Amino acid sequence: MKRLLTFLNLALYIIGMYAQEKILLLNEGLWQADNGRLTYFEDGTIVSNQWFRDQNGYKLGDTPNDIIQVNENLIAIAINWSNIVQFITPEGKAVAATEDIPNNRKLCTDGRYVYVTSYGHECETVNGTQYFDKGFVAKIDISNFKVVATCEVGYEPEGIALYNGRLFVANTGGYAMQEDHDYETTVSIINASTMLVEKEIDTHVPNLYGKMSQSGQYLCINSPGDYYEMPASGLIFDCEKALNEEDCYITFNKPATYNCTTLDGNFLAIGSSFSYITGGYEFSYLTINPRLMIESQGELGLEEKLPGTLKEDFVNMDQPYGIYVNPYTGYIYGTDAGSFEGAGYLFQWSPDGQLLGKHKVYINPGHFLALSTNEYIDGIGSINVNENENWVDAMYDLCGRKVKSQQKKGFIYIKDGKKIIYNQ
Amino acid sequence: MPSRHTFRKIVAMFCEHNIRNYYLQAILATALAFVVKASASAQNPNNELDTIKQMHEVTVSVKLPTKTIATSQTLSGADLQALSTTSVADALKYFAGVQIKDYGGLGGLKTVNVRSLGAQHVGIYVDGIRITNAQNGTVDLGKFSLSCMESVALYNANKLDYCQSASEYASGATVYLQTRRPTHDSISVQLRNASFHTWMAKLNGQFNWRGWQGFIDGEYCSSRGDYPFRYHSEYEDTVGRRSNSDIRYGRIEGALFKGGFSSHVYYYDSERGCPGGIVRRLSDKYTNIGREWDRDFFVQASYQERFLKKLLFKANAKYTNESLRYCTNFPENQNTPRVDNHYWQQDVYSALCAAYMPWDWLSFSSSYDIRYSILEADLKRFDDVKRVDQKLVFAAQMNWKNIQAAVSALHQRYSDWTFAHVGAADPLDRWTPAVSLAYTFYGVTVRGWYKEIFRAPTLNDLYYTQVGNRNLKPEYTKQFNLGLEYHCQWPMFNGQCSMDVQADIYQNKIENRIVCLPLKGTYTWSMMNYGYTFCRGLNATLKGHYHTKTWNFSLLTSLTWQRDVDRTDPTDVDMYDKPICYSPAFSSGITGIVGWKTLQFTTSYLYVGERMWSKADPDDILAPYHNVDIKLSYTHNIKKVSLGLCLEVCDVLDIQYEHLPRYPMPGRNYKLTLSFGV
Repeated sequence: MKRLLTFLNLALYIIGMYAQEKILLLNEGLWQADNGRLTYFEDGTIVSNQWFRDQNGYKLGDTPNDIIQVNENLIAIAINWSNIVQFITPEGKAVAATEDIPNNRKLCTDGRYVYVTSYGHECETVNGTQYFDKGFVAKIDISNFKVVATCEVGYEPEGIALYNGRLFVANTGGYAMQEDHDYETTVSIINASTMLVEKEIDTHVPNLYGKMSQSGQYLCINSPGDYYEMPASGLIFDCEKALNEEDCYITFNKPATYNCTTLDGNFLAIGSSFSYITGGYEFSYLTINPRLMIESQGELGLEEKLPGTLKEDFVNMDQPYGIYVNPYTGYIYGTDAGSFEGAGYLFQWSPDGQLLGKHKVYINPGHFLALSTNEYIDGIGSINVNENENWVDAMYDLCGRKVKSQQKKGFIYIKDGKKIIYNQ
Repeated sequence: MPSRHTFRKIVAMFCEHNIRNYYLQAILATALAFVVKASASAQNPNNELDTIKQMHEVTVSVKLPTKTIATSQTLSGADLQALSTTSVADALKYFAGVQIKDYGGLGGLKTVNVRSLGAQHVGIYVDGIRITNAQNGTVDLGKFSLSCMESVALYNANKLDYCQSASEYASGATVYLQTRRPTHDSISVQLRNASFHTWMAKLNGQFNWRGWQGFIDGEYCSSRGDYPFRYHSEYEDTVGRRSNSDIRYGRIEGALFKGGFSSHVYYYDSERGCPGGIVRRLSDKYTNIGREWDRDFFVQASYQERFLKKLLFKANAKYTNESLRYCTNFPENQNTPRVDNHYWQQDVYSALCAAYMPWDWLSFSSSYDIRYSILEADLKRFDDVKRVDQKLVFAAQMNWKNIQAAVSALHQRYSDWTFAHVGAADPLDRWTPAVSLAYTFYGVTVRGWYKEIFRAPTLNDLYYTQVGNRNLKPEYTKQFNLGLEYHCQWPMFNGQCSMDVQADIYQNKIENRIVCLPLKGTYTWSMMNYGYTFCRGLNATLKGHYHTKTWNFSLLTSLTWQRDVDRTDPTDVDMYDKPICYSPAFSSGITGIVGWKTLQFTTSYLYVGERMWSKADPDDILAPYHNVDIKLSYTHNIKKVSLGLCLEVCDVLDIQYEHLPRYPMPGRNYKLTLSFGV
């Protein structure tokens, strides 16, 4: 009872402190049924399960796959089977859409450009149509929503993350069973400004498919294996190390099918492995400390637990379909896709993992985006903001946002109304 | 790429596999019966003549179970030809309890679902021999033409003839296509032009010579299928033209009959585009470009003979060879997987049936069927699969005074062999029963039946790369039915009037539905046993005919009311006891035919109520639709030459409807056919 009271007190305190939780949730819908939908969830209630339609009067499209915040005024959504990258404002109003990148998969951004991975083989750019044998990454300039550069990577590139001016792209080779190539095992490292491949790291595990979370210099990558002999596994990838040496990742024998980054820089992962040979599943529920894991060469840093009642609640779900931590508030979210033909459910937990509610959403809810309740939106996804650092007075980036995080050498900023190249 | 097996190899493989002992006994028993009968009939010098006469008896005037015991609907002869139909699917949509799934256009896959059992529970039979598809278990009805059919009949549960092959007992519902036996010599040519750049030419030659009857029917058709469509709702106003919806096909078939012997050869070759669902796109730049090539061949023969008035013997044999290619590996495909897959399947089938009638009100029958199928494909991680499917049935029927009864017990055994990675599924070995009872008084028949049957997982379900699941259990159906049937006819004015009324209430349970589901968190799909469906419904039909020397009136109506609910998981409040997708609560059809001499006018009206296409949102419904077709035909005879002209208008109201979400149907379209016959 005492614990409950403490908890209630804490919950009230937290709710009082952070008045608003704003979550956008992408429902994939059914393939070729044109029923991808956007759910808007605010402060414990579903505002709408068809928010995009409500705001714009038309439908979102077929099988949306990823949603990110580009800057405080812009959100990008990759709508896979519609071949559309849709841009909306945080109020949900459509701003622009492009179909220059067919079969688009995942997104990342530096606030100025949006980088998109694609399974397709052609891309409409400002320099004409580009063709690729394998998959590619496209760079969209948000000043005109045109593709300004592309870069060919491996077959069927999936997850993409930006670290230190480089794009880290997980290749899957996901069409291996249908096309004349094998599963990919590599992570491609691309210089984001030149859009040239700098390096390819062979991870020796196939099919680096699905959600890829980033925590500073670390990436959490999933491999479902080949569903036959090669088992499913997970990877922690150190981007900083990867720039210098080959030995930059740790593989562990639990998949990280659905993963996310916590406020303290850890990863939460729900893994599910399946083999067509045995016809059996295996589930795992992990908390990963990437720094510890890399430093200990995989000896430490992996714990089979989730905060609070999360594990229990996920075990009771029909089909877990996503996990997410609100980077602004620490509230935890998860989805259950149910039977895949009926409506899925959104679960909400407090930051310490107490289940707060379960809300009916739409078919196959899988991709989250938390909106900031403050005026400032970080968007880039840097987790460890060091407020105590010695800041140079009021510097702004080219999008006019006040620069809060670590400045990057060689980048252009605005200070005292003038452009400067940061050189320290 | 696997090499293609020859017929010889199939036979060799066939011999390698062990057949269960009692099956051998069954064959021996049947064979023995045949020898006894043969020796008995040898004593009768007029044997052959008798046989022919008796064959007529078999089909026309036998006292044993009349059709009223089975729930059936038939469209035959003039009624069938009067409907505006291009394929078997078009005819079936007028039956009560039938739901058609149609992806739209001439080339769109058309399958039929009876009383919500699912397409794979519906057996399609040509002259009593089942059309099979070992690969996926569904038959595309668009491949079969009505021009050589005498009748199309739908039987819920069993047909209940008294000498049936075991396969005929083995499906939840059966559709019989009866080939027409020519009564005279003729040659006819048909030319058709229809909407959406469709051209068709057909040639038919038939003969009837010294008891031999036969025909050859050939058809070639080409259609661009670029029909316009419109989606108009609160959230969209999409206007477009279907692309990649073209089809070209050639079909040639022939049949030969003599007395109890019938045979059929069929060849079909097609190339078609596979259009996808209409989804949000910013332009027409990316459309589906997948293409499919089909080549189907079968040859079948059946022979039946009666001995000593008490024994009836039938043998069926069939060989099928089908190939399918699906390709998206074209230069213009820059956005979807580049696939080029080939599938080949061969199937050898034979059946022996024997019936014994100790008295004219009682019969016992047994049949043993064996089918050997091979599926080959150039998929990765796939190896040839061979399946031996054996069926044995014991059945008894009686028709004593006003009481009719039929019972049957069917045993099925499926054994698969494969070197595919996952290994072969365990053999499947089950008995299933069926019971029918009927009582007739004052021309009214009251009937009740129960049937339990399963469908075995198809080879795709079990072994398809990355989707197949070798641990699947069979999908069971249990059907209860109670019905009434009344038939009467009386003379009126200068003509004859007849009426048929039928009403059946039914209850179906389907367990262990075989469905394709995404795997928990592994981003791939797999076949699973998931779901339990409970269905209650009412089917009613009313048929009226009136004809005089020059006038001919027909009215055909059907009505279906049903409630299909999901009973899978009682704890799932969103799904449990909620209607299942694609199943309308109410549908009905009315067809009126007016004929005057050789001028004929037909109007058909079909109503299909609203149905859910997903359970996630009450807004996810397919709108109810009304469909009106009209057909006007006139034939002019000059001596022995006949000239015909026929105009059909389908979907007169131009209602844009869908069978599947985002797969629009063509809307109003026209067909003009010229025919010439000698």
